[in-house]
Amino acid sequence: MEVLRVEGLAKSFGGLQVLQELSFTVEAGAKLAIIGPNGAGKTTLFNVLSGQLPTTAGRIYFSGQEITRLPPHRRLHLGLARSFQINNLFLNLTLIDNMLLALQGAQHPHFQMFRSINAGTDLLAMAQNLLESMDLWEKRFDPVATLSYGEQRLLEIAFALASKPKLLLLDEPTAGLPTAEATAFANTIRNLVEDMTLVFCAHDMDLVFSLADRIMVLYFGQIITEGTCNEIQCDVRVQEIYLGSGRSSENVGSG
Amino acid sequence: MDVLLAHFLIGLSFGFILFLLATGLTLTMGLMRIVNLAHGALYMVGGYVGLSVARLTEDLVGRDLAFVLGILAGGLCAGLLGLIMEAGFLRRLYKRDLDQVLLTIGFIYILTNVTQWIWGPVPEYGYVPSILSGSIPVGGITLPVSRLAIIGFGLAAAAGLWFFQEKTRVGAIIRAGMDNKEMTMGLGINLKLVFTGVFTLGAFVAGFCGLIGSPLLGVNLGVGWDALLLAMIVVIVGGTGSVQGALVGGIVIGLIDAFGKAYFPELAYFTMYLVLIIILLFRPSGLLGRRI
Amino acid sequence: MGKANLAGSNRQPWQARLLSLAPYISIGLLLLVLPAFLRTYPLSILTKILIYAIFAMSLDLILGYTGLLSLGHAAFFGVAGYTYGILMVRYGIESFWLVTPLGILAGGIAAAVIGYISLRVSGVYFLLVTLAFGQLLSVAAVKWTSVTGGTNGLVGITDPHLGIPGFTWTNLNFYYLVFLAFVICFFLLRRITNSSFGRALVGIRENEPRMQSLGYNTWAHKYVAFIIAGLFAGVAGVLFASFYQLMAPTHLGIMTSSSVMLMVIIGGAGTLFGPAIGASFIILLERFASDMVSSARWPLILGVVFVICVLFLRGGFGSYLSRFWRRVKRRYGSTES
Repeated sequence: MEVLRVEGLAKSFGGLQVLQELSFTVEAGAKLAIIGPNGAGKTTLFNVLSGQLPTTAGRIYFSGQEITRLPPHRRLHLGLARSFQINNLFLNLTLIDNMLLALQGAQHPHFQMFRSINAGTDLLAMAQNLLESMDLWEKRFDPVATLSYGEQRLLEIAFALASKPKLLLLDEPTAGLPTAEATAFANTIRNLVEDMTLVFCAHDMDLVFSLADRIMVLYFGQIITEGTCNEIQCDVRVQEIYLGSGRSSENVGSG
Repeated sequence: MDVLLAHFLIGLSFGFILFLLATGLTLTMGLMRIVNLAHGALYMVGGYVGLSVARLTEDLVGRDLAFVLGILAGGLCAGLLGLIMEAGFLRRLYKRDLDQVLLTIGFIYILTNVTQWIWGPVPEYGYVPSILSGSIPVGGITLPVSRLAIIGFGLAAAAGLWFFQEKTRVGAIIRAGMDNKEMTMGLGINLKLVFTGVFTLGAFVAGFCGLIGSPLLGVNLGVGWDALLLAMIVVIVGGTGSVQGALVGGIVIGLIDAFGKAYFPELAYFTMYLVLIIILLFRPSGLLGRRI
Repeated sequence: MGKANLAGSNRQPWQARLLSLAPYISIGLLLLVLPAFLRTYPLSILTKILIYAIFAMSLDLILGYTGLLSLGHAAFFGVAGYTYGILMVRYGIESFWLVTPLGILAGGIAAAVIGYISLRVSGVYFLLVTLAFGQLLSVAAVKWTSVTGGTNGLVGITDPHLGIPGFTWTNLNFYYLVFLAFVICFFLLRRITNSSFGRALVGIRENEPRMQSLGYNTWAHKYVAFIIAGLFAGVAGVLFASFYQLMAPTHLGIMTSSSVMLMVIIGGAGTLFGPAIGASFIILLERFASDMVSSARWPLILGVVFVICVLFLRGGFGSYLSRFWRRVKRRYGSTES
C-alpha cells in the first residue's frame, strides 16, 4: 500500500528549474534514500513534499489523498513529518519546552485556552519517553542553545518523531556530525524508525547503506535511477556522477 | 478636460513629495530591515530649521537664495541628527530589529518635544521662494506655481536617485546588500559604512523636503506623524527597497488622493487608506515589491 | 522576554506554592486595603494605574507572548471607550450591564476586522499597518463629528446605572470596580498564557515556520490572540471612558498606542505582571515629572527613559524582578527549577 505518490512534480524559481517532472512512489514500511550531488534538488524536494514551498507543477498524494495544496500544518496531521538539514529549533526555550511544543502540535487541533498546562501530564510522560530514548532527559531544563550540536541534531529528529508520523522525511540527518557521532546517530535512528516509512537524503554513503532498502539518485532535479543498494552501487551512471564510486563520507561535488 | 489636468497636476505634485519622503524610508527598510519611525520627525525638524534659516537670511540674500539656504540647512540638520541616531544608537542594537524600531519611537518623542521647546506650539505656514510665487489658472482651478515646480523638482530628483541606484557603484553596493548581506560583506565591502551612509542620506532627504513640502503640508508639530504615515503608506503600496517603488507608490497615492478629494470629498482622507487595505488584501508585497 | 518554565510542575509541596503566590497575594491585599485610606488625588492615580495595567497586559499577550509588534493597539481601547460613550450620550442607554459588554465587544470586533487585514503581513510591515489603522480610526473620530464629537471628543459620559437601588458611584467604589476588573483580567490572562494555547503563542514568537511544520495553524493562533487582546483592551477602554467621562480622537491613535507599548517594554514584555509594573512606573513618573520639572517636558523625559531602557534594560524591569524572585524561591526551597 503506497504511502506517498508523486506525479510530474516540478519546481522552478523564476527561470531556474530545480525539480523537473519527478514521479515516484513510496510503499509503506519502505526506507528510501535520496542521494545526489549538491544542488541536485534534494532539500527543495523535501520542502515541496512537506509544504514549505508550493509546487510549480505536478501533484502529491499521501495515502491516496491529494495534498498538493495543503499547508504544512495540515500535512503534519495527515501523518507527514520532517526534520530539517539545519537545526530549526526553539533556541531560547528549554529542551523540555521544545519537546512539549512538538508533542502538543501533533494533538488533534483545537484551542485549549483555559486548561492549565499541568492538565496535559500525558504530554510530559510522552516527552520523557522520547527524551530518555535519546539520553536527553537529564538536560531537559537546559536552554537548547546551550546543547551540543549533536544533541540539537537529535532533538531535531525527535521533533519529527513527536507526531508518530506515517511518513518521516529526514533531510540529511547526520549533517555536520563528526564520523564517530554520525555512526552512533545512525544506530539511534535505525532503532527509532523501524516500523515507519522513511524517506531521507544524505551524502554519507555509510548511513545510506545501513539505513535504506531502496535508493533514488537525483541529479539536476531529475531522477536518474532507482533501485536496491546493490543495484545502485553497480550502476555506471551513478559512478559517473560521483567523483569516485563507492567512497563513503567524502565530499561529493558535482560531476 | 482642463479640470482633470488640474487635479492630475495637484495629485502629481503631492505624489512627488510623497516619493521624496518615502525614498529614505524605503531604502533603509530594504537595506537595513529597520523602520526609522523618526523619519517623519526628521522631516518636521528640517521644515522648522529650514524656515528659521530662510527667514533669518532673506533680508540679506533675498527670498530665493534664502529658500535654497533653508532647504540645505534643513537637510544638513536632519542629516546630522540621522547620523547621530544611527552611529550613536541604532548601531549598538545590531540584529535587534524590534529594539531598533522602539528606539526610533523614543527619538520621535525627544525630537518632537525639543522642537516644541525651541519653536513653540504655534503652527507655521509654507515658505515659497519669490520666483515661484504666484499662480496659474488651469481648468478653472488656480494652481500655485510652487506646486508645478515641485513636479519639476521631483522629476529631476527621481532621475537622479534612479541613476544613483542603478548606475553608480554605491547604488550597486546598496542593491547587493539588500539581496545578500553576507555575500556583500564577503566581497570586502564595509557594510556598516554603507548603512550609516544610506541612513544619513535618507535623513538628509527627509529634512530637505521639510521646507519644500511646506506649502502642502505646513510646518507644525503634528507634521512628523503625518509625514511618517504618508511615507509608510507609500512604501507599503509601492513596495520596499527601491526608488521605483517609492515613485510608483507616491504617484499612485498622490493621484488617488487628489481625485478622491475632488470627486468624493467626504471620503477624502480615507481614499489612501482604502488603497492600502486593497493592496494588503491582494498584493501584500506592494506594487513593485519583492514577495514578502 | 518571558522565558518562564512552561512545563510547570504539580509536584510542589504546599510551602513552595504559597511562596510562589506570595507576591500576588500581598500586592492584592495592598491594593484592596490601601485605597480606603487614600485621598481623592492619589486614589485617582491608582485607579488610572490599574486601568492602564489592564491595557498594557492586553498588549503583552500579542507583543510579549506572540511577538506581534502592534502600534495600533489603542484602536481597540478607543473603539470600546467610544462605543460605550456613544451608547450613553447619543442613545441614552445607561444600564451598566448593557453598555459595558457592548463596548468591550466593539473592541473585539475592531480587532477581528483590523487583525484580519493586518495579519496578511508580518514583521515591520505589520507594525506599519497597525499604526496606519490606528491613525485611520483617529481621523475618522475627528471627522465624524455628529457621532464622536470631533476634535473636542465625546464629552458628558455619565455614570452607568448598576440597577442596584440606592447605589451611587463614589471615587472609592469605582476604584473597587476597576480593581475587580483588574483581578479578573489578570487571572484570565494568566490562565490563557499558561495554557497550551499560550505555550503555542510563545512557540510562534520563537520560530513560526517551525511551528507550522509541527502542526500548528499559526495564522489562526495569531488571529485569535489578536482578538482576545482587543477584547481586554476594550475592558480598559470602557473603564477609561467611565472614569474620565470623555473620549478623544487621540485615544485611538499613535500617541496612546506608543504609550502603552512603552509600558509593556519598560515593564518587561512576556511576563504579564511586567507591563502592569510598567504602567505604574510610567504613570507615577509622569506625575513626578509634571510636578517637579514641567508637564510640557514630560514627552522628552519619557523619550529619554525609553531610549535608556531599550539600550540597557533588556527585558525591562519585569525580567529583573522575575529573575530575582526565582532566586528567592530557590533559596527557600522549591522543586521547580
